[in-house]
Amino acid sequence: MRTMNYVLSGLGGQGILFMTKIFATTALNKGYNILGAETHGMAQRGGSVVSHLRIGDAASSLIRAGAADFLISMDESEAYRHLPYLKKGGKLFANASSDAFPDERVAGYLDKMQIEPYAMEAGKTAMELGSPRSTNLAMIAFYSAFEVGPLSADDLRGTVDNISPGPFKEKNLKIFDTCHDVGRKIISGDIYGTF
Amino acid sequence: MKEEFLLGNGAMALGLLEAGCQIMTSYPGTPSSEILPEMVRFSKAANLNTGIEWSVNEKVAFDNAFAAAISGKRAACCMKMVGLNVAADSFMSAAYIGNIGGFVIISCDDPGPHSSQTEQDSRMMARLGKVPVFDPASPEEAREMIKAAFDLSEEFQVPVLVRPAIRICHARQNIKYDRLESNMTKAEFKREPSRWASTPKFRFMQHKALNEKHVQIAEKFSTLTPYNIHNLAKGKHYPFGIVTGGVPSSVVRDLFEEYERDDIPVLKLGAPYPFPEKLSDEFMDACDKVLVIEETDTVIEYMLRDKHKTLGRLSSHVPMEGELLPEKIEVMLNKALLDCALDPLSGSDCGMEAFGLVGSLELPIRKPTLCPGCPHRASFYSIRKALPKAIFPSDIGCYTLGINLGVVDTVLDMGAGITMASGFWNAYIQDDVKKPIVATMGDSTFFHSGTTGLINAVYNDARFILVILDNHITAMTGMQPAITQGDRVDGRKGNAISLETIVKGCGVEYLKVVDPYDTRHMIKVVKEAAEHVNDPDGGVAVVIARHPCVIAFKDEAIPEKFEIEISDECDDCGFCHLRFECPAMVRNEETEKTEINPVLCAQCGVCLTICPKDAIETV
Repeated sequence: MRTMNYVLSGLGGQGILFMTKIFATTALNKGYNILGAETHGMAQRGGSVVSHLRIGDAASSLIRAGAADFLISMDESEAYRHLPYLKKGGKLFANASSDAFPDERVAGYLDKMQIEPYAMEAGKTAMELGSPRSTNLAMIAFYSAFEVGPLSADDLRGTVDNISPGPFKEKNLKIFDTCHDVGRKIISGDIYGTF
Repeated sequence: MKEEFLLGNGAMALGLLEAGCQIMTSYPGTPSSEILPEMVRFSKAANLNTGIEWSVNEKVAFDNAFAAAISGKRAACCMKMVGLNVAADSFMSAAYIGNIGGFVIISCDDPGPHSSQTEQDSRMMARLGKVPVFDPASPEEAREMIKAAFDLSEEFQVPVLVRPAIRICHARQNIKYDRLESNMTKAEFKREPSRWASTPKFRFMQHKALNEKHVQIAEKFSTLTPYNIHNLAKGKHYPFGIVTGGVPSSVVRDLFEEYERDDIPVLKLGAPYPFPEKLSDEFMDACDKVLVIEETDTVIEYMLRDKHKTLGRLSSHVPMEGELLPEKIEVMLNKALLDCALDPLSGSDCGMEAFGLVGSLELPIRKPTLCPGCPHRASFYSIRKALPKAIFPSDIGCYTLGINLGVVDTVLDMGAGITMASGFWNAYIQDDVKKPIVATMGDSTFFHSGTTGLINAVYNDARFILVILDNHITAMTGMQPAITQGDRVDGRKGNAISLETIVKGCGVEYLKVVDPYDTRHMIKVVKEAAEHVNDPDGGVAVVIARHPCVIAFKDEAIPEKFEIEISDECDDCGFCHLRFECPAMVRNEETEKTEINPVLCAQCGVCLTICPKDAIETV
């Protein structure tokens, strides 16, 4: 398999390391090699956090600008900030309101680069389901609906099931299923999700 | 066999234990900080008897580990690269003296820099100290190199440096490992004063012996596969080749694989010093031009010694500063290939257009800030309120972020908050000006490098206020235990050291302890301290601002919660944003008033006293 490159972005406190862990654990269970790059120290106090994850046999931990297959962002601004990492034909998943996404100033660039942008209000949905801190989980589930890349929705859901501690398991799976369905409905054209 | 998605620092911790490292010391600093706790974790899980300690500073860590190594044990110390500056005196001397048991120093570099005051290249320190150096290209390689470093160190009785860059330390990789075994070597120090306590005459002999070792090590490094290796085809000549090592060598590997370029040979130098002349001569003889891609300085480039063939920083093909991000390497490779009349890797603009577009979006600038509820914020607010015209020398830690509140004027290095305060006093008093000066320093930094400066200030009668920000933890580097609490890295209890005793022991007569959450009281005490400083019979005044870190000790830090709201009295004067800078206080652009973000607010209630219009109230 060709190396698949994931850029995950968001804000401090949104749980980007947990998000990375879900992807990494899933990949590990499937027998893939993985390399990742994280933010620590003074840089971590900055609010803008990013995690690079490479599934396959890469040598360097950083993803090159123009080489990411997927950009999954828990914040709209942070999605735009890391846009240069997406390759031509890459896919963008953002926690944003689909009415105003993507920002018209980047629409032309996305078009030219054949980047497909998908948005759902993951933070809002997580909040409505009683887990305001589960934007990370919501975005993984949303991404999983599109069945792109080496990790299937079942694989990812299985990891969430396995690593969620007892009292959170039910809630986490509910968030996963709800947000996965949002993605499915966008694909089937039942709801608008910017395509 | 177990498998984990390990941080590079965890992979190195594993490598240290697999190599049989018995004594390990460190002082925390990004990007090195997780090596020690990971070592404790692995060591405990395998029931090993490993001696692991957080030392007071890097020099202390170095000397501690070195003593174990000359007693025949395998020992190591680790630090961030500027920590090696602190240990430099020991480092240089130890190279001459040498060791018995393997002795490895891990110095973690921070090209960027992401979390450091410089971008210095530890390989330069290796050259300066005449210490062999390894430069890993991945977490897995770092783990293996540590074992090779121990073997080399024991074979030649020299300290060996391993310098992982931040993309090794804070990379993650799936790593498999087996059961770990204890190294049972017993300490046996054999007295030999002419070696361990050698006088200058013997130092000359030791220097000579070291140089002779280097000739042999350079020879060994020329065949040190897979760390030092090239992929030249026998008898073939090439118009262009790459010389690289460490993190950039991984990027080069990925690029050549992705663009299917097997026409360009690569010399990888993972152990660049003592310089493997033989191996590099083979490569240079086979290439018309070479591009040197190394982080962060010109170590290999200088040692190649051929400016007619060599492209790199000295020929402006490689930037002189900053991290060599993969897209930058693609750009420089494309340019060098074109300069040598070869096909570039790609026609890609390497993200340039997109970076330009992102720049034009004016996205929110997210600068580092102190956390909501941070006691340092309260201290900085009070200091500025008491003495707004003072000079504010500060230091390295979370509290460097006091810069956002206008209460940090200088940051030089660990300990300079105090020594520069002395210096400012001397510079002004020469002109008969009694300049108010308030230095700030965290408790961990004070133990690391503060006491010598404080003793010097008292001795030479410098006059300033020192505020020691005591939050019971070493926060910025990831919550290492504080000396004031006496907790050790492996959870065992040591002995707590009292800041008050140390400060008084340094000869300071004025010492007050305050809780910075009580800003009114702290303002009063800082003003009173200023009087002591100005009194002809006075001296240095020390105020300990003691309050636990809001992240590490959430419940203790905020025993009483205040639900805050902003009343209509807010007239948008901006004072709270300028002088308090709490992330939970947000200006609403529409109402033109400040609001509280309830998700971020820590409910510490410190802000209740700060508003000039009294618009901050409890609900």
